[in-house]
Amino acid sequence: MRLILIDGPESKRANFYPLTLSRPVFALRVGMSSLAEKLSAKLGLTDVACFIPEYMAAPFALRSTYTVNKVESLKGDDLFIANGRIKASTFTATASGPSEVGTCDNEVCWARINKADLAKLKTDSIEALLASAKAILPNKPCGAEMWNYTWDLILSNPQVLADDFKAAGRSGIEGSVEQPNAIRGDKKNVFIAKGAVVHPMVVIDAEHGPVYLDEGVEVHPFTRIEGPCYVGKKSILLGTKCREGMSIGPMCRVGGEVEESIIQGYSNKYHDGFLGHAYVGEWVNLGALTTNSDLKNDYGSVSVMLDGRTPIDTGSTKVGSLIGDHTKTSIATLFNTGSVIGAMALIMATGKPLPKFIPSFAWYIDGNVTKGFGKGKLYGTAKIAMSRRKCQWTPDDEKMWDAIFAMTAGPRDEAVKRARKAMLK
Amino acid sequence: MASVEERVKKVTARVLNLDVATIKMTDSFTVDLGAESVQSIELVANFEEEFGIEMDEDAALSVDNVGAAVAFITKVCKEQGVQI
Repeated sequence: MRLILIDGPESKRANFYPLTLSRPVFALRVGMSSLAEKLSAKLGLTDVACFIPEYMAAPFALRSTYTVNKVESLKGDDLFIANGRIKASTFTATASGPSEVGTCDNEVCWARINKADLAKLKTDSIEALLASAKAILPNKPCGAEMWNYTWDLILSNPQVLADDFKAAGRSGIEGSVEQPNAIRGDKKNVFIAKGAVVHPMVVIDAEHGPVYLDEGVEVHPFTRIEGPCYVGKKSILLGTKCREGMSIGPMCRVGGEVEESIIQGYSNKYHDGFLGHAYVGEWVNLGALTTNSDLKNDYGSVSVMLDGRTPIDTGSTKVGSLIGDHTKTSIATLFNTGSVIGAMALIMATGKPLPKFIPSFAWYIDGNVTKGFGKGKLYGTAKIAMSRRKCQWTPDDEKMWDAIFAMTAGPRDEAVKRARKAMLK
Repeated sequence: MASVEERVKKVTARVLNLDVATIKMTDSFTVDLGAESVQSIELVANFEEEFGIEMDEDAALSVDNVGAAVAFITKVCKEQGVQI
C-alpha cells in the first residue's frame, strides 16, 4: 500500500506561512519528526508519494525520498491518501480496511482506496481522484484532529516530544559523555545517540521530560538541557540555556536561551539572546542578542497577523516569532510578541521592538521596509550559507524563490510604499 | 522643468546631506560623496520617487557615479514611458 500525502487547500496552507512558502505543511516539524513522518509511522506505510504546489515540487523532490507530483503514483497499488495536516496521534483510521473516505467540513481528509476500487475512479490527477472517491466511495467523518496554525505545533511540542520519545523506545548513552557531567532525573529518559559528544560541565535535566540527542550532536560546556527536548543530527549547542519543549532540527548551531520553540534545521542562533515559543525555518541566521518576546506585558492572548493585516487571536498567552527560511537578523534585533517575519528577509535592528509583520524579501533598514539590494543579493547570501553546510543552491531553488517573490509582492510593495511616504515627509 | 542631471543632483544632495553645487557628474557616490550602503538604498528609493519609475535593484546599485545615474535613469524613464 502506498501513502499519498496531500498538501492543501491553499487557504489552510497559508495559515502556516511564512514556513510553508517554501515547503509543504507536512514537512513541518513537531516533536522529534515531521508531520509526514508521523503519519507514515502511524499507518505503517513506507512507500510515500505526495502532491504539493508545483512551484516547490522540484526543490522538495531533490531533498526528499518521496515521489513528488507524479500522477503514476496514483495507480497500480492500494492507496491511502491523507492530508498532511492530520494529527497522527489523534488518527483512528488504519491502513487496512474497505475503500472509504474520511471528510471534515465537506473536504476529503483521507481516503483508503483498494486497488480493485481504483479502476472505478478517475486517476488522471489527484484532484480528480479525490473528487471521484468522495462521490463514489462511502463517506464517514474524518475521525482525527487537524493542525490548523503554526502555533498549534509550537504549543503542542512539549507533549509531542514526550510521546515521540516513548514511541522511539530508546534510552541510554551510545555517544560519549565527558566528565564531570550531570544527568538529573530518570536516566531512562535520556538517549544520546552514537557519535554525539557531550563536553564536560553540561547538565541534562530529564526530571520533567525526556532528552534525545541525535547522531553527531555536540554539546558544549555550560549547556543546560531541560526535557522534553530533541536535538537533531549534527546540531551543536553552545553553552545554551535550552529550556523545556525545544525541537532542534539537523545541522543547527544554537546558543543563548531557547524555550518551547521549533527550529526546522540548518539555522543558526549562535549567540546570546532569547527565543521562546517560536518557529524558525531553515537557513535562518539570528544575529547576537536577537531576542523575541513571547508574552505580552498584560498577559493577554497573543494575536498574529499572518497576512500583515488581519490579526488572528491565537488563544494563547505564549506565542513568539514565526520566521521564514533564509531570513537574517542583525545584532540586537528585538521581535515583538507574535511576530511574523517573512522568508528571505534581511533585518537591521532599530533598538526598539520591530513591527509585528515584516514581509518576505524585505530589507528592513532604519525602521523601514525597503527593496534594499534586491533579491539577487539575497540569493547570493543563500548560496554562501548553503555551501557552508555542503548543500547546494540549485536553479530549481531560484525558480521556487522567484515564484515566492511574486506571491509575496502585495504586502511587501504596500510596506515599501508606506515607508517611502514616511521617508519623504 | 529641471533637467535629469539637476534632479539627480538635488536628490543626491538631500539624501547625502551635501551642498548641491559641490556635486559633479564624475563624482562616485561612495568614494567622493561618502554614501554608505544604507544610503545607496535610500538614493535608489528617492530616485524612484522623484522620477516615478521602478528600477531593478541589482542594475541600479551597480551604477557608481552621478553621470552614470543620470544616464541610467534617463534610459529607465524612456523604457517606462515617463516624460522627463
